[in-house]
Amino acid sequence: MGDITLTMNGAAISGREGMTILEVARENGIDIPTLCYLKELTPIGACRLCVVEVEGSRMLVGSCHTPIAPGMVIQTHSPKVLEVRRVLIELMMASHPDSCIVCEAANCCELRMRATDLEVGLPRFRTRLRYFPLEDENSNIIRDMSKCILCRRCVTACYNTEGKKMFSLAYRGFESKVIYDLDKPVGSDETCRDCDTCISLCPTGALRQPIKFGQRKKGPVLYVKG
Amino acid sequence: MPQAKIVLKNCGIIDPKDINTYRTKDGFKALDKARGMTAAGVINEIKTSGLRGRGGAGFPCGVKWEGARNSPGDEKYVICNADEGEVGTFKDRYIIQNDPFSLVEGLAIAGYTVGARQGYIYLRAEYSYLLGLLRGAIDQAQEAGYLDGFNIAIRLGAGAYICGEESALMESIEGKRGESRYRPPFPTVAGLWQKPTTINNVETLMNVAQIVLNGGGWYAQMGTERSKGTKVFSVSGDVARPGVYEMVLGSPLRELVEGLAGAKDIKMIQIGGATGRIIPYDMIDTPLAFESYLGAGAITVYNKSRDVLDIVGRTMEFLAEESCGKCTPCRQGMEWMVEVLGRFHRGEGLARDIGYMEVLADTMALSSLCGLGQAAPFAVVDTLKYFRSDYEKGISGK
Ligand SMILES: Cc1cc2nc3c(=O)[nH]c(=O)nc-3n(C[C@H](O)[C@H](O)[C@H](O)COP(=O)(O)O)c2cc1C
Ligand code: SF4
Ligand code: FES
Repeated sequence: MGDITLTMNGAAISGREGMTILEVARENGIDIPTLCYLKELTPIGACRLCVVEVEGSRMLVGSCHTPIAPGMVIQTHSPKVLEVRRVLIELMMASHPDSCIVCEAANCCELRMRATDLEVGLPRFRTRLRYFPLEDENSNIIRDMSKCILCRRCVTACYNTEGKKMFSLAYRGFESKVIYDLDKPVGSDETCRDCDTCISLCPTGALRQPIKFGQRKKGPVLYVKG
Repeated sequence: MPQAKIVLKNCGIIDPKDINTYRTKDGFKALDKARGMTAAGVINEIKTSGLRGRGGAGFPCGVKWEGARNSPGDEKYVICNADEGEVGTFKDRYIIQNDPFSLVEGLAIAGYTVGARQGYIYLRAEYSYLLGLLRGAIDQAQEAGYLDGFNIAIRLGAGAYICGEESALMESIEGKRGESRYRPPFPTVAGLWQKPTTINNVETLMNVAQIVLNGGGWYAQMGTERSKGTKVFSVSGDVARPGVYEMVLGSPLRELVEGLAGAKDIKMIQIGGATGRIIPYDMIDTPLAFESYLGAGAITVYNKSRDVLDIVGRTMEFLAEESCGKCTPCRQGMEWMVEVLGRFHRGEGLARDIGYMEVLADTMALSSLCGLGQAAPFAVVDTLKYFRSDYEKGISGK
């Protein structure tokens, strides 16, 4: 048993000092959806999908980066929380290309999976799309930044696990972009090693491996509910 | 309740280039007095005074200082937020231009109280012409021996509104991209370089010396239940006499806008700039206090010739441009708001988008990472409440 007790969805549970709300929830079998969060890395806090209701807080709280405190009363799936999560998914889809049917990542796209789980249909919000030319010159990585949802996993992972800084962020607001070098396409002679870390972590089809002859598509088949 | 001069007491009276003129007005007496007190004693006075932050959020200053004071660690920082990025605010500029010494003194008292050896003033790049004056004030105070054991450095912003937000400001001082951090940890625990840090607006610090000299009880006599002291307002827009006015908190908005600034034919008033609230003329008797609306004290007046959708649209364009882009609701939501408001403005709006705007506003307010995204939809929410027919006229086919 842990040393901090709190209430989650009406049940008394406990966790240890320093754990986040998300960690405690997962330990207790409660599934809070996440997109930018990765277990091994420092929390990013960018996507906001993991928000939960904490009694006494006016705003919703990001569960992936908020430590638990004694006596917290948390709702992880209240109607308010679910509606906010749906809108967030719709906002990510608002500028995402509708090319799922021909996308390499279609059957393992986390954005699609989260959308399916939250029963998001046609998004209510549509904005202009962000078009960037495909970067396919490197033999280890293909980047299609039109599909990027700016979760920053690739930026954080490259730095945290590989100790490199291949990617960083540039521009601001809606124009924000994960860039390589000073916003150059990843060229054929660039220093990227084929460690695959960012590719395996990218939730969408923005990063992928060049397909080699005879290779199978990655991931299981995605079954869509309903 | 009338005008009063606490913060602006020395403005126009002293020579901002000469420390001796400041000395004749009790200059640096508060710092000496504070250094003769315990840190807890100073914090107690500030708490008694009821002083709340003047940068927009209104957080109790004494509680903030106490938090940083009590956080473990030998290395602590105090920051003065002189980014003054909020649309329609120009009071901090006026203060620095006329009385940089009180600011230096206030920051030095903060440093002493919190236990910081290093202070920073984060000055917006557009105010770089104030750099000489501010440096002069710091240097003179240093030479006169008032800043022994405490160093003040100035950092210039680079023209980003978000860098006025405290966590983005700290990222910026650290030399990183100006982006908000998630909280907790709060700055008083892990702020600049992850060390305990307090950050205060220029105007907040301007009150400190007065409180230390005259006592928290004296200060707490002014104002309302939860808004003590005075507030400096930046009044602009459709008024005859735009400018900086200091009023006792709780004064009616009407007195400021119609009385002092001479506004006529008012349609609506935006209180607190781009992330502030919009109220119609009917509500002009609202008291100016944290209990109602205040923000950083920007009062922008619009008369009957103004178009609501035009104003809201431009406010949203500003905020979309200034969003740091880190979190989904603010980055994506602002873009959609701007596009949709443009459609309503051109008479091409869709009826269902009014409902969607409300849904989106809720999500932004509830889930954005920082105050920018959380407060960004206010202009839309308020005008949908008070000027809904203007939106309905923008629906295609009407
Ligand atoms: C988008 C945004 C912009 C801000 N800009 C400023 C600013 O220009 N100046 C300022 O003093 N506070 C600004 N703030 C408020 C600061 O985050 C912080 O609350 C304030 O500096 C704390 O000082 P105070 O407690 O003395 O008010 C801003 C907040 C947000 C969310
Ligand atoms: S490229 Fe992929 S991993 Fe990187 S920020 Fe975009 S969506 Fe996230
Ligand atoms: S998973 Fe918590 S903010 Fe993205």
